[in-house]
Amino acid sequence: MMRCGYGLAALPGTDARLFSPEPSFLRLPRTVHPTRIKFGSFKIRAKIGEARKETSFYDMLGISEKGTLPEIKQAYKQLARKYHPDVSPPDRVEEYTERFIRVQEAYETLSDPRRKALYDKDLALGLHLAFSARRRYQFDEELEDQSEWRNRWQTQLSELKRRSMSRDAGGNMSWGARMRRQREEQSKQV
Amino acid sequence: MALCACSFPAIVSCCAAASEPQKSTPFASHLLGGSDLGFHPLLKLNQVKKRPCGVYASLSEGAEYYSSRPATPLLDTINYPIHMKNLSVKELKQLADELRSDVIFNVSKTGGHLGSSLGVVELTVALHYVFNAPRDKILWDVGHQSYPHKILTGRRDKMHTMRQTNGLAGFTKRAESEYDCFGTGHSSTTISAGLGMAVGRDLKGERNNVVAVIGDGAMTAGQAYEAMNNAGYLDSDMIVILNDNKQVSLPTANLDGPIPPVGALSSALSRLQSNRPLRELREVAKGVTKQIGGPMHELAAKVDEYARGMISGSGSTLFEELGLYYIGPVDGHNIDDLVSILKEVKTTKTTGPVLIHVVTEKGRGYPYAERADDKYHGVVKFDPATGKQFKGSSVTQSYTTYFAEALIAEAEADKNIVAIHAAMGGGTGLNLFLRRFPQRCFDVGIAEQHAVTFAAGLACEGLKPFCAIYSSFMQRAYDQVVHDVDLQKLPVRFAMDRAGLVGADGPTHCGAFDVTFMACLPNMVVMAPSDEAELFHMVATAAAIDDRPSCFRYPRGNGIGVQLPPGNKGVPLEIGKGRVLIEGERVALLGYGSAVQSCLAAASLLESYGLQLTVADARFCKPLDHSLIRELAKSHEVLITVEEGSIGGFGSHVAQFLALDGLLDGKVKWRPVVLPDRYIDHGSPADQLAEAGLTPSHIAATVFNVLGQKREALGIMSSRN
Repeated sequence: MMRCGYGLAALPGTDARLFSPEPSFLRLPRTVHPTRIKFGSFKIRAKIGEARKETSFYDMLGISEKGTLPEIKQAYKQLARKYHPDVSPPDRVEEYTERFIRVQEAYETLSDPRRKALYDKDLALGLHLAFSARRRYQFDEELEDQSEWRNRWQTQLSELKRRSMSRDAGGNMSWGARMRRQREEQSKQV
Repeated sequence: MALCACSFPAIVSCCAAASEPQKSTPFASHLLGGSDLGFHPLLKLNQVKKRPCGVYASLSEGAEYYSSRPATPLLDTINYPIHMKNLSVKELKQLADELRSDVIFNVSKTGGHLGSSLGVVELTVALHYVFNAPRDKILWDVGHQSYPHKILTGRRDKMHTMRQTNGLAGFTKRAESEYDCFGTGHSSTTISAGLGMAVGRDLKGERNNVVAVIGDGAMTAGQAYEAMNNAGYLDSDMIVILNDNKQVSLPTANLDGPIPPVGALSSALSRLQSNRPLRELREVAKGVTKQIGGPMHELAAKVDEYARGMISGSGSTLFEELGLYYIGPVDGHNIDDLVSILKEVKTTKTTGPVLIHVVTEKGRGYPYAERADDKYHGVVKFDPATGKQFKGSSVTQSYTTYFAEALIAEAEADKNIVAIHAAMGGGTGLNLFLRRFPQRCFDVGIAEQHAVTFAAGLACEGLKPFCAIYSSFMQRAYDQVVHDVDLQKLPVRFAMDRAGLVGADGPTHCGAFDVTFMACLPNMVVMAPSDEAELFHMVATAAAIDDRPSCFRYPRGNGIGVQLPPGNKGVPLEIGKGRVLIEGERVALLGYGSAVQSCLAAASLLESYGLQLTVADARFCKPLDHSLIRELAKSHEVLITVEEGSIGGFGSHVAQFLALDGLLDGKVKWRPVVLPDRYIDHGSPADQLAEAGLTPSHIAATVFNVLGQKREALGIMSSRN
C-alpha cells in the first residue's frame, strides 16, 4: 500500500536522501539537485522563498508542536468560527477567507495522523511549503500512485466497453454468450 | 465557499443561544457544507456538549476516538439501500464515516469481528448505492465483514444483539434477511455461489447483477480457482470483487508481529499494486522520449505505450488466463473511484465475468485497529475511546493453549514432530508452536485439503505431522482424510479444536459431525479428552501412535482446573481403555469428551434424590473399551451414552457393539444423548447447551425418564434456571 511504500522503500540516490532526517544544516537550495527530485522540482524551488516566510501549521493554529488531537481540533474550531466568511467583518472578508482556508488546510493535515507525520518530518527539515505547492510536492508521490492507478483502471474500463461491443458477435459460442443472445431475442419478441 | 444566506441567522442564534439543540445541527452542516472533510460529527460534538441534557459526545483526554456514540444524522435516514439512491457522492462519504463509527460502537458493546468490517465500509456503501439489492445479488465471502451491510439493510436496530441468542448472526444468513443472498462462514465459496446465481438468472432470462466479494486470503483456497475457471468457461455476466488487504492468515498477526501473507499469490497481488518499478519505467520512457524529441513524436508515443502495456500486463494475466476481465488496482477507500467503476461495469452490457481488484486496509478508520498487529480482527467488548478490550480473566487457560503447550513439549522430545494448520495460527494455538519451532510449523493458507495431503506426504517420509484443523473445517478435507491418509494407513495426527457447540459463531463453525465421520474410518484411532490433563495425555498418545492415523477432539473454552502433568509432558494412554470416575449402581453414564463433565454434574444433581450413579469416561471411541462397556452393561439397569456430537458417533458405536455382543438381549436399557437432528443457532454456550438438550439437568431428567420416574424428570427440568 502507498503508506507502507512511502519514505521507507525509497530507492537510493533519490527520495531517501531527501527524506532522511538530517536536521539543522539541510538548506534545500544547496543540497537538492533538480535531477534528483522526480517531480515538481522547479515548482518547489520557486516556492521555497515563499516557504521560508510562512508560518507553520502549528503557529497558525496557535498550538505547540506537541499538540494532541483534541487540542488541534479545539484550536481549529475556534479559529474556524472566528474566520468564517459569514462572520467576518465585511471589509476584511478576503483576508479572513484566506486565513480560513489556511486554517482548514492546517487542520486537514494535522488531524490525519499520516499526513501529520509527514508534515512533522518536513518541519524538522526546515521545510514548510506554502499551501498548494507543498501539496503538490508532498503528496505528489501519493497522487502519482493514485493517478497511476486511476489511469490504469480507466484504460481498463474503456477496453472493457470496447470488448463488450463485439463480445457476443457471431463466433462466440460460450454458454453465457448463447444465453445472452437468447435473452435478447426473447425480449425483442415481447 | 458555497454558503447560503439563510445560514447566517442560524449561526447568530447558535452563538447566542448555545443550548438550543435544534439550531445547532444546521449550523454545523452549513458551515461545513463547502468542505469535503469527514468530520461533521466533530463539530456537532462541540454543539452537543452545550446541550443541557442528553448524550455527551466528548473526546476524553489522550483518547483517539469518541467515547460515546457520535450523531449519525445521515445514517439515521437510511433503513434500506433504496434510501441511499438520492445521495450525492459527498453525502456517501459522510455516510461511510457515520457507518464506520456505528460499526465501531456496536462492536464495542457486543464484541465480534471488527477489523474486516472497517476495511469494507466504503465498498459496502458503494455497492449498495450502485446496485439494487435484493434483486441484485451481493455475496460476502467473508461473512463476518457484513456488519456494515447488515446495518444498511434494515438490521441496524438489532445490531446490539449481534452474535447473541436469538439475535443477529455474525455471518450472512439467508434465513435472517432477503438481502443476505448466501450464507458464508467457511470462505472461498462466493464465486461458486455467485456463478450459480448468475447462471440461474441466465436460464430464467432475467437481468439482475451478481456481485461476489472475496478476500485475498480466500483466494488461497482451491475452490476459488475452481469457480473462476468455470466462470471463465461459461462466460456468464458477473462481477467478482477481490478485496485485497494483504491479510491471508488469521489472526492477522502471530505473537511477534503482523503475519506476512503466505503463498505465492500474495506476492503476485502485491506486484499488481506496486508502482515503483512502473514509475521507474515510465520515467525512463519519458527521459527517452525527451531525448528523442519533436520529430520523433510517434516513436516517443510508442515507447510510452509499451511502458504502459508492460505495466498493466504484470500479474493480472493470472485472472485473464482464467477468463476474468481484470480491472484494478483500485483504492478501496475512495468512494468516488468505487462508484464510478461499479457504475461503468454495471452499465456495460455483456461483460462476461469481471474481476475488480480493490485494495483496502483492515481496521481502517479506527486508529487502534490500524496500529494493532492483528488489526482487531476479532474483539471482545472494548472501550471505543481507548481501544482497550475488556478481556475477562480466568483461572485456567483455553484448551487451544493447552494443546499448543502439549505439542511443544512433545516436539522438544521428538524432533520429527511437525505441525500444520490452514491459516489459523491463532485459533489453533500454533502461533505458540511457531515461535518455539519456526522451521517445523507450516501455514498453508486457507487450504485444508492440501494441508491433509501435505501431512500425508510428510508422514511418508517418517515425520510425525500434527494437523490442527477445526472440527468444522475438517469437513472440507474429508476425502483427503479417507483416501490419502486412512486408506494408506499413514500416521497423521488430527487435532480437532472447536468440537461440539461453539457459542457465538453459530452453526457455520459448529463441530457436530467429526466423531461420526472419523470413527467410521477403518484405520483411525478416535479419542477425546474429558479435561485438560487428559488432553496432554492424548497428545502424547497420538505422538506415540506411529502405525495408523489418529485424531482427538476438544471443545472451545477453558479448562476445568485439574492438575497438569509435570513439564507439560503427557503420558501415552493405553489405547482402547476408558476409566471409571465414580462407582455407583443401577444407572451408568458413559461420557465421551467434554460431555463427561456434564455427566459428573448430573450425577451430583441426582445424589440428592438418593441415586448413586456410575460415571465413566470412555476416552476412546475407536477402538472402544469393550470390557468396560460389557462390565457396565452387565451390572447396571440403565446405560446412557453422552456426547456432544451428532447421531452416528460415539453412542452409535456403543450401540453397535452392544448389539453384536448380545448385550441388548438382556435386561439393560441403553439410551443415547446426542445433539438433536437440527442446527443449533448461535448464542451463549449455556443457551446452546440448553437448546440442544445436553445440560446436566437434561441428562438427569433422561435418567429419571428411563427409570420410569416421569414426575421427578419434570421436576428437575422445571427447577433448573
